[in-house]
Amino acid sequence: MLTSPALSTPASPGRLNAIAGRSLAAMPTVWRILWRVPMLLALAALVFFVLRVLPADPMGMLLPPSATPADVKALTEALGLDKPIPVQFGIWLGNALHGDLGRTLTSGLQVTPLILKALPTTLQLIACGLLLGMVFGIGGGLLAFRYRGTRIERAVEVVNSISISVPEFLWAILLILGVGIGLKLLPFLGQLDAGLTVPNVTGFLLVDAVVAGDFAALWSALKHLALPAFALSLGIAPPLMRILHSSLLDAYTEDYVSAARLRGLSENRILVRHALKNAALPTVSMLGIQASTVIGGTLLIETIFGFPGIGSLMVNAIGAHDLPMIQGLALTYAVAVQAVNMVTDAVLLLLNPRLRTP
Amino acid sequence: MSSLALSAPAPLRRVLGEPRVVIGVGLLLLLIALAVFAPWLAPHAPNEQDLLNTVLPPAWAPGGDRSFPLGTDALGQCILSRLIYSTRVTVIIALTAPLGAALLGCTLALIAGYRGGRIEWAILRMVDLWMSFPAIVLALVLMVALSPGLLNVIVAIILVDWTRFCRVIRADVVVLRRKDYVAAARITGASHWQVVMKDIVPGILPTLISLISLEMGISVVAESILSFVGMSVEPNVPTWGVMIADGLKSVFSSPWGLIAPVGCTVLTVLATTCLGDGLRRTTDPRLFNRSGT
Amino acid sequence: MSLAHAIPYASVVTPVPPLQARPAGAVLLEARGLTVSAPGRPERLQVLRDVSFTLRAGATLGLVGESGAGKSMLGRVIARHLPDGFTVDAGTLRFGHGEGGADLLGMPAEAHRALLGARIAFIPQEPMTALNPVLTIGQQLQEHLLRLGVAKDEWRERATAMLAEVRIHQPAQVLDKYAFQLSGGMCQRVMIAMAFAGDPQLVVSDEATTALDASTQAHIVTLIRGLQERRGTGVIFVTHDLGLAAHVCDELVVLYAGEMAERGPAKRIFTRSLHPYTQALQRANPHLTGPRRLLFSLPGQMPGISDFPSLQGCRFQPRCAVATEACATAVPAMREVLPGHHVRCVHGAAAPEPLLAADASDATIFHAPRMSDAPFLQVEGLSKVYRPRSGWLRRETGVHAVKDVDLTIAPGEFVGIVGESGSGKSSLARLVMGLETPSEGRILLNGKALVARAEDWERRIASIQMIFQDARSALNPRRRVQSLVTQSMESRPNLHSDRQARARELVADVGLAPDMLTRFPSQMSGGQRQRVNIGRALCDLPQLLVADEIVSGLDVSVQAQILNLLLRIRREHKISLLLISHDLAVVRYLCSRVLVMHQGVVVESGETEAVLANPQHAYTKSLLAAVPPRDLGVRWPQ
Repeated sequence: MLTSPALSTPASPGRLNAIAGRSLAAMPTVWRILWRVPMLLALAALVFFVLRVLPADPMGMLLPPSATPADVKALTEALGLDKPIPVQFGIWLGNALHGDLGRTLTSGLQVTPLILKALPTTLQLIACGLLLGMVFGIGGGLLAFRYRGTRIERAVEVVNSISISVPEFLWAILLILGVGIGLKLLPFLGQLDAGLTVPNVTGFLLVDAVVAGDFAALWSALKHLALPAFALSLGIAPPLMRILHSSLLDAYTEDYVSAARLRGLSENRILVRHALKNAALPTVSMLGIQASTVIGGTLLIETIFGFPGIGSLMVNAIGAHDLPMIQGLALTYAVAVQAVNMVTDAVLLLLNPRLRTP
Repeated sequence: MSSLALSAPAPLRRVLGEPRVVIGVGLLLLLIALAVFAPWLAPHAPNEQDLLNTVLPPAWAPGGDRSFPLGTDALGQCILSRLIYSTRVTVIIALTAPLGAALLGCTLALIAGYRGGRIEWAILRMVDLWMSFPAIVLALVLMVALSPGLLNVIVAIILVDWTRFCRVIRADVVVLRRKDYVAAARITGASHWQVVMKDIVPGILPTLISLISLEMGISVVAESILSFVGMSVEPNVPTWGVMIADGLKSVFSSPWGLIAPVGCTVLTVLATTCLGDGLRRTTDPRLFNRSGT
Repeated sequence: MSLAHAIPYASVVTPVPPLQARPAGAVLLEARGLTVSAPGRPERLQVLRDVSFTLRAGATLGLVGESGAGKSMLGRVIARHLPDGFTVDAGTLRFGHGEGGADLLGMPAEAHRALLGARIAFIPQEPMTALNPVLTIGQQLQEHLLRLGVAKDEWRERATAMLAEVRIHQPAQVLDKYAFQLSGGMCQRVMIAMAFAGDPQLVVSDEATTALDASTQAHIVTLIRGLQERRGTGVIFVTHDLGLAAHVCDELVVLYAGEMAERGPAKRIFTRSLHPYTQALQRANPHLTGPRRLLFSLPGQMPGISDFPSLQGCRFQPRCAVATEACATAVPAMREVLPGHHVRCVHGAAAPEPLLAADASDATIFHAPRMSDAPFLQVEGLSKVYRPRSGWLRRETGVHAVKDVDLTIAPGEFVGIVGESGSGKSSLARLVMGLETPSEGRILLNGKALVARAEDWERRIASIQMIFQDARSALNPRRRVQSLVTQSMESRPNLHSDRQARARELVADVGLAPDMLTRFPSQMSGGQRQRVNIGRALCDLPQLLVADEIVSGLDVSVQAQILNLLLRIRREHKISLLLISHDLAVVRYLCSRVLVMHQGVVVESGETEAVLANPQHAYTKSLLAAVPPRDLGVRWPQ
């Protein structure tokens, strides 16, 4: 769960397609991308009900221990908790659609602006992590395939197995211990070196540094981003590598590869034009499946490295039992996962003609 | 039903002969032994605080003390003892959570895959819904709702990870259901229940076993993540995750408080991955069909 | 799907590119003593031994053999794409005329690769999977044509012309389609177009028609022949069908266990084969015309490559009815016993008439036992419509797999249903068995209608059993034979000893040795698995067996064994059979009555001999015309 679902999916592209891509095939094209929107509704409902229904005493979570019964009654009415739960959900949803996710219990501030302030940091981290992960994963897969049957392939596979087993947050800690403290190569606390500030334009630190023309800050930001992004990338690179490698191996057993060889096409051409295009399908599917792992990984990575993203917000909110904040953040995470999945759905549609045409 | 029993041609010998399986099982047995014999093996009680000897380095480093082989943490608790006692939580979770998740996931997968139609659609949509949340987030939300405790941690892990089983097993069930021998079983008079038990379940067993062993590692990690955030078991119970969280805070003064639990967690996960990999290789049906003759 | 019927033939729109100067009759490919070996202990296994032939420009050489004989291996040798560990140990392979030809095996890899696709082309067995599923036909054609040297702005025109030449309707539109949108026949035409695009000197057709319907097969053969004649190409035609090869090829090579058994003019081999194996092969094939004779079923099966080291002499000797002592100790040499006709047999041209098996003259096996004429199974107005899976907000009309079918079966009667793929015959079989529920119509068993109720299901499976096509998929790989054949006894309480006894009976009934009882399906051959399948269906002695294409994947000799087994079972147990097949000859051999199905409808039915001798419906006529006739004087395909 918290490492990678890919660990348990035996790296068989056929099965992957069966699991992930199948439900896509039965839907008309446009719907195939947009079906996730109603899903969000269901997701919001799920979070809401879990938090309201499960605990025996929702009030106990929302109020400080020193509250009096009068306080309890007042808050119950103020929050509308005396109304039936579906009605509560309706009210919350109505507000949410207007962008109002309530107020935090700890500070009384609006939830939405707090989330929006922290979001760019997380998004930046996710983007870098995904990028690095794809580079390592695809690169590793191609490498292992290119040298198949040799020791290099075995070595890559072993490295892969080890990386898959270790969860991202442990990688983060190991990296801190090894590279940060031991070798003292890269920093590991916060986003910037102490003393450097960058005016907030977009919220994305890298972009802001470029806009401000502050290259010292940019360099510092990149250095601080290196370890966390690398730790995050270790969450998706191994399964990507594995699926690409095994998809390529599978593609090479297919008839169209031998037919292409019999037509005299060169090995390079066969790999790039024929095999890779087919191997891309399960790889993109895997990327979609891994999206939630990467996004979830940011939660701990931010905490460990001291990044002020929504992960840190979440950890604090949980410690404080700040219900509205938790709800809002959970929804944000779900939206992020759905967004990434929508993109991979669209890419799959582009690559796989079978999904496009009936 | 001796010779008529559904015995697999892949002998147990082959499974046990695979080095990965041996390593995995060996390490797990070691963990269980540590958990059971903890009181005799650990030099101190896990929560025994010695405030005069806080943050001591390991026995072999300068300033170390023989009675604290791996040193102490910020509250003066013996790291080695805490490490050993933590195996109890680890073992309990590793043995119960995967089975629970497997049971839930498998049951729903069998229903979905075998019945098909609307029920399958509904279950799949539920799985999609569940998997839309990053697992960590869902687990944390559940723990907030349930409040800390060992049983609740197990419940939370089951409720989060059943989807993985469901998805993979359902795909297998759909493939098996289409095989002619399932139709043949029906026309020779087997009831739906008999078909599922005798023809489908044996077919999903290899995948299931390997998934369960992988899940053992995953649930150990899950628990340590929850501990790290402070939402795991009761406050006084030592776990590797709690040790990691504590160790991170005093990483500059005594890194051993961090290295030890991290190392143990990594080793455990490696062992279960090894085991799962080995089991998958020896029970893969593709190898199955080439055996004999 | 016989789309070929629906597609009107497009005429050739652009003239064929000019032929290269190629002297007719020049030697194109010459193989001498080719020997290929595979890794093995203690010594290597020779998968191809001493194969020699000569192919001339414009001629067609047939390579005939059952599966495992090594016919595809030769194609791989030419392509220099042998499996890992396989090597060419001896022999030469020379390609082309002029100074003795180029050494195909010795030339540098780059030079050889340059030949592939341009001078030497291949047509694969499975056309749909031979095309890349994520690229359009046009993209793949473009890649091929550009490699052949066609200019960038001309490729599209050239591709359209090629597709028109292979008679693809609306070729310009097909360029933008994907492989899964085309039928098998159309995909094969595309592969043929690609093969002939570069004006090759040699084309290897590796079972190119095996995966296609009989009618499509005829069209493809015509196509290849036409293209070959226009270009003077030499063709190697690999097939397992001797009758087809006799019509298509000029010269034939019969392969058995990696060796040439016989080589000579096609027509001569077909009408008067000299090698005992070829003769046995022909007598194991059911005929569509002529008197009905019991099929000669060759005992055992072709040795696998792991058995080769134990065969010191002639590899056919263990199964040969006229083997002498010398045959077991020394490998006979290939001798030219008649002009152009070589045979590897000690008997040479004077092969004695083999003693036929004891029950060969027992024509009574064809007689159905005297039983009542009143049918026990009546199908009335049966229809089945398949609705597409969850049409989202769209009302889609379903596929009418079976439309208004009537059928009766009397005790002891063998009834056949013929049709091509998509005709609905398999759906009909599943409806009779109860694996599908009909949309309309009803089925009466012993006078009472069958409805979807639990008691009726019990009644049904007591009287009707099914033998599935794919024996491997129909047997649970984790069960032993003993458990499989008595599977129907599991749902009732039975003594263990009863079950064992019944298992022994059934295994003997289907002609398997008793030691098979403890084996798993993966440890048996295809024919043995099919026997277990039949044995299982027989366990409760049903009134009717529904057999869905049960012999289509089997070799000719194994097929003959299974067919004779069914006849014997009828004689012993008085069981009826509903046989689904695309093979008219098989249906003629077994069934006294036949129904012809086309697109879900029964177009013709009646006594088998009457329907085959005098077909009334156009579709039946076309089915019959698609089968290569035994009379080689008749031109086929028309």
